[in-house]
Amino acid sequence: MDRTTQELFIEQVREHHAGLRGFVRALGVDPLWVDDVAQEAFIVAYNRLDEFDRERDFGAWLRGIARNLVINERRKDARRKRILSDNLTDVLLSSSSASDHEEEEIGDNGLAKLNALRACVADLPEKSLGLLRSRYEDENSAHDIADEFEMKAPAVRKALERVRISLRKCMEKRLEAGSAAGNA
Amino acid sequence: MPEVMDLRLRAEELISEFLSGDSSEAILSELADLALKDASVAARIREELEFSEMLRQVVEDDVADSQALFVESKAAFAQSKDQLVEKACDGRINPAECNQLAKFLLNEPDEVATLKKSLAEDEWIRGAVSESRSEEAFIEALETRMWAETTRDHFVEDFQDRLEREISAEDEVDNIIEMPVSWTPTVLKMAAVAAAVAFCAFLMTQVGVNHLPASASVAMVTKSSPDVRWVGEHVPGSNGEVVVGPYELERGIVALKFANGGEMTVEGPALFEVKDNSTAHVHHGVAMARNEQSSPGITLKSNGLSVSEPVPLIGIDARSEFSTEAIVFEGDGGVCLDGGGCRSLFEFEAVKADRNRDRLVDIPYNPQPFLGGWELLSGVEKNLGSVRIEMPGTTIESTDREGEVQVFVENESFRPESDLEVDQVSTGHFASAELNPGQALQARGDLRSYLLQLWPTTGVDGEEVEASLTFDHEVVGLIYSSDRLTSSDTSVGTAIPHVGEEFNRERGLDLGRDEILLSDDRRTLNLKLKGGELEVDQIRVLVALN
Repeated sequence: MDRTTQELFIEQVREHHAGLRGFVRALGVDPLWVDDVAQEAFIVAYNRLDEFDRERDFGAWLRGIARNLVINERRKDARRKRILSDNLTDVLLSSSSASDHEEEEIGDNGLAKLNALRACVADLPEKSLGLLRSRYEDENSAHDIADEFEMKAPAVRKALERVRISLRKCMEKRLEAGSAAGNA
Repeated sequence: MPEVMDLRLRAEELISEFLSGDSSEAILSELADLALKDASVAARIREELEFSEMLRQVVEDDVADSQALFVESKAAFAQSKDQLVEKACDGRINPAECNQLAKFLLNEPDEVATLKKSLAEDEWIRGAVSESRSEEAFIEALETRMWAETTRDHFVEDFQDRLEREISAEDEVDNIIEMPVSWTPTVLKMAAVAAAVAFCAFLMTQVGVNHLPASASVAMVTKSSPDVRWVGEHVPGSNGEVVVGPYELERGIVALKFANGGEMTVEGPALFEVKDNSTAHVHHGVAMARNEQSSPGITLKSNGLSVSEPVPLIGIDARSEFSTEAIVFEGDGGVCLDGGGCRSLFEFEAVKADRNRDRLVDIPYNPQPFLGGWELLSGVEKNLGSVRIEMPGTTIESTDREGEVQVFVENESFRPESDLEVDQVSTGHFASAELNPGQALQARGDLRSYLLQLWPTTGVDGEEVEASLTFDHEVVGLIYSSDRLTSSDTSVGTAIPHVGEEFNRERGLDLGRDEILLSDDRRTLNLKLKGGELEVDQIRVLVALN
């Protein structure tokens, strides 16, 4: 493997890790195992870099590898599975394509989405940020968060849902703005 | 009557087909007709169906599981799609709820894309909010796995090279970030700029680690095999100094002495990281750690597990990408999985953290992979002849090492409870082992005891075996007389399995035949042993640790 190829790989890790993690999660992989599966996909890709056709989209190739890894998970015994459920993953896989031509495939521009989202999170009101951190950083359940913030659990769920919706809108807005700036 | 018999025979055929899974509409229809005509056929069908159900329950699940699944399924059925989606996003969805969600999605295929989007967004929120799921954490973890799971890479070096180039462009990158309006034309480029900042931060950390001042030396290479080859930019100093950072040992074996007193061996090919003056992380390879009672000890970590309680002598085998093994050679301690879950590990016990590193599995005690490392840690260097340094736990009784001098570390460190009588040996010249009046051991303080043994060679009498051994510490006493060997067994704490009178009489060196030479500096012992067909040659070597 020559140096240029290795350089290419390092560049691709930087560009695709966020999108790949989102893609893996969208196939029903247990959140605790998302990074593990994504890393495995990178390692498989690295070991097979010689086979990669540079005319292809590297992100789509990576997603194809990850997709196969997830398919393999369905064959494992229940204790070793990294997916939430065979049935759910079957349904999610059935609508997933690793095709280079698939538009808007989850995982495309993942890093841009992540960075847009990071900026959006930074702008959140303090309480919303607190809820979000409690949920995603401390991995607390709605019940635990309710105790922490002196709220009712359904109210926490609703609040988190609202935060998620607002973050999604913010992210899309930022991506559109970035795209428009690029096109200008 | 024959008609009834024919009917029942036909019914049996159909039941057989039905129970085998061939339940076509035609079969069921014909069976129904026959059951209407003959009540005994209906009874047979009921009986077989009932029995089949019992069989199904026995084979598939136990009844309790089935009941629990039923309760869960009932609860899942009562939930809305949104509730189930939320649980899926949270990762707290149970199998029954997953099934229910899958049913919703099968009925509403358009919702699949929405759910996938929600899950992906959830993942990105997690990445944006949680430090442990950050870009840096991901890349660092990937880098670690690259070290451990690829064999042909120079991933770390490439990252470091890249860093140097990116740091030189750091100012430029900073400017770009401060002026978002000047973001480069495509979204991809925008992403790359953002990534560069985060990536630089990650790589900066690496450089910070790699460029610590020389004063950060935390260990020394004390011994190494002749074939040692380090690769990469990060290698021990010419004086053996080891600083904090990652090391790649392509081949050979090295022993490191840490500042806190612990010792570690690593056998290549290996990738390991010295974290500080008491911690090492073995990403790939075979490593051993020896801790003295007086020192806090080395904390040894590897892929998926870590040694939670310092053990006098422990080994880690991290050569497989699928599992990591830990084995205790001396003393007791504990190991923990990275994801939680610890257990005690006693002397001569071994465990394996499996591929997912989510549980510890007992495995047979197999010290063979650690033989090379142990040769460096044992405190004895074989210079000449056929010598085998035996692993701890090897029984001092063997018949498959004929013609080979075995070296057993009987007791790593001890203080004799009573006066020890040793044989008289002059230094600097070969002399036959002779009957002698003996003398009291003069040395005080901590001792280590080795037992050297040459097992009788079947069918050969008088074959000479030569061996030369150099010890790390000064030899303060030699015991080769049968009676003194036997009387000192208890003092040194060794366990000779066959202490019968006959064996004891035949232990020790052959007086007048076997020759020994202890060098003037009392470090090197040369032996010329006339192997006998019947007697086992043994000599106990006591060295002073202080």
